[in-house]
Amino acid sequence: MSEARRDLFVGLILLACAAVAPLAFTDRYIVTQLTLFFIWAAVVTQWNLVLGIGGIFSLAQMALFACGAYGTAMLGYYLGWPLWLAMPASGLLAVVVSMLIGLACLRLRGPYVALLTLAIAQVIYLMIINDTECFTTDAGGCMPLFGGVRGIGRFGDLGFREMFGARFVIANYALAPALLVFAFTFSVIVIRGPLGLAFRALRDNPGYAMSRGVSRFRYQLWVFASSAFFTGLAGAVYAAQFKVVGPTIFSFTLLLFLLSMIVVGGMGSVWGPLVGAALLMLADEGFKEFQDWRALGMGLVLPLFVVLLPGGLVGLFKRKRTQKAPMTGGDRPIADRGRQENWRRPAEATRPRAQP
Amino acid sequence: MDVVVQIVASGLTLGAMYAVSTVGLSLVYGSLNMLNMAHGAILTIGGYAAYAVSQQLGLPAAFGFLAAIVVGAFIGLLIFAATARPLLKSKNFETNVFIATIGVGAVLENVVLKLFGPYAKPQPLNIPGGVRIGAVLIPYQNIAIFGVAIAMMAIVAFRLQRSRAGRAIRATAQNREAAELMGVHVHGVYAQVLALSGALAAVSGVMISSLATLSPNMGGDPMLKAFIICVVAGLGNTYGAVAAAIVIGLLEAATQYLLGVRFGFALLLLLVIAVLIWRPAGFFGKARIVRL
Repeated sequence: MSEARRDLFVGLILLACAAVAPLAFTDRYIVTQLTLFFIWAAVVTQWNLVLGIGGIFSLAQMALFACGAYGTAMLGYYLGWPLWLAMPASGLLAVVVSMLIGLACLRLRGPYVALLTLAIAQVIYLMIINDTECFTTDAGGCMPLFGGVRGIGRFGDLGFREMFGARFVIANYALAPALLVFAFTFSVIVIRGPLGLAFRALRDNPGYAMSRGVSRFRYQLWVFASSAFFTGLAGAVYAAQFKVVGPTIFSFTLLLFLLSMIVVGGMGSVWGPLVGAALLMLADEGFKEFQDWRALGMGLVLPLFVVLLPGGLVGLFKRKRTQKAPMTGGDRPIADRGRQENWRRPAEATRPRAQP
Repeated sequence: MDVVVQIVASGLTLGAMYAVSTVGLSLVYGSLNMLNMAHGAILTIGGYAAYAVSQQLGLPAAFGFLAAIVVGAFIGLLIFAATARPLLKSKNFETNVFIATIGVGAVLENVVLKLFGPYAKPQPLNIPGGVRIGAVLIPYQNIAIFGVAIAMMAIVAFRLQRSRAGRAIRATAQNREAAELMGVHVHGVYAQVLALSGALAAVSGVMISSLATLSPNMGGDPMLKAFIICVVAGLGNTYGAVAAAIVIGLLEAATQYLLGVRFGFALLLLLVIAVLIWRPAGFFGKARIVRL
């Protein structure tokens, strides 16, 4: 079975499970947690594209998510836009913001990108929470432009109650899985398609790839901006679902939580982020009794996995499989295709280079 | 005139504090290519170590200061042993160690939270009084911070330039493999660098908390600023980092005075981005030629 067919097959099974889930669990709490899972999984698949495929060490992912969420909330609150219009619009807003960040950061080397994106996210956060000037006043009192610490609420809803009557809960639930389907399909297309091929070429033999006209900057900007759309859209869905947007989405714990999902699942793989998201949501549930230890455990996950299992759980599975059969198709380094033997032994290829 | 004195005084204090925490980061990046995201947590732990010894145990302030240095160095070694050492041979060392230290930082911060609770505490290492220049009162505390920072930096610079260990550190930073071939025990050097960086971070934690307060998440902001200073100076350029720290301290004091506290950080960041567009390898950094 080819990889694309397998992805489609597994994806359809999971989608079916997601569709019947609310029938099995009528508990509101579980449905909410499931919705959160779909939203985080969508964000994480996009972040995985940026980190694992594009090789951009961006920590601004939650800032882009916030663009979508705040964009939706503010368009709804101040301009009275219907959410159906505000959501894609704020997805596009996230794209614009990501282009600006990308143009400023992507010409720099890796570590500079990580630090600058983190700093940008932090500055946006500080600007929002330190804003105490009243932009307008509403029923709740003083309202800063970005909602301040309190956040923004009461920006309308999707109108499912009018459309579907009593069954609006199901429609409400379906929004998040639909988002994940789009985001995940996009990530598969990028990883398995030409963009992924370009990045694989840049990774395996940068000199050759660049001399053939594969521009790292251009492709990085592409993947950064296009994944920002779905990240922003995920933010918009978050806003529409929970009906309030506050600065908590900038919190470092949340960033850590999502990063752990990618690292646990396996960075740069198709299914890794989904596996990681599911596992960490479950682990988070398990640790709910021990609220205090939650952040500590979350912190331990990162070094443990990076040191002991750098390929994540999916990498573990892949390694077992490749031991049985030789590498085929997509996993094989491009430079080696069509050669009879690997002239560059893996041990040699992975040796760290001398640092000047 | 008074305004200028005020800005220069608080700018130099800020700059000196930033310099102490930045030097450690810069040394670590220079020799290992490691961005230590747990640096902020060491800062916090340093502040709390001084608090615990001088307040809870009731020992003199000097012991608190020493305790901070020892604990900071120990945490630095711990971070080396837990993250950098096992990852040194891995393929994406820079990315992996970055992620791993983010986690370690979160763990350390939580340990502090568990031990000391979430509430802000005053740092007991405090010198009352001050000296008057014109109409401006400059607290002795600020002068002491500036003095200690200069002394720390002088010691570090002297050790780097003159001692055998310092030469080994510089050699490793310049070319890891060549240093190894010349008989430098590279892992030992890495451990030393992280211990030194930890000690410096702890000292700067004591300084920062003596001006503000102690809280478990106090390290985050100074760390981010230290990183920004490193980036402006060019990652790994230690002397450039000191100069950049002083300049940025002065700039921050000026913007905070003229535009309000809210925009200080944001303006700083805009400036940094502008500098990086102009010079992508940092202000003092040399563009490096990467052989593919």
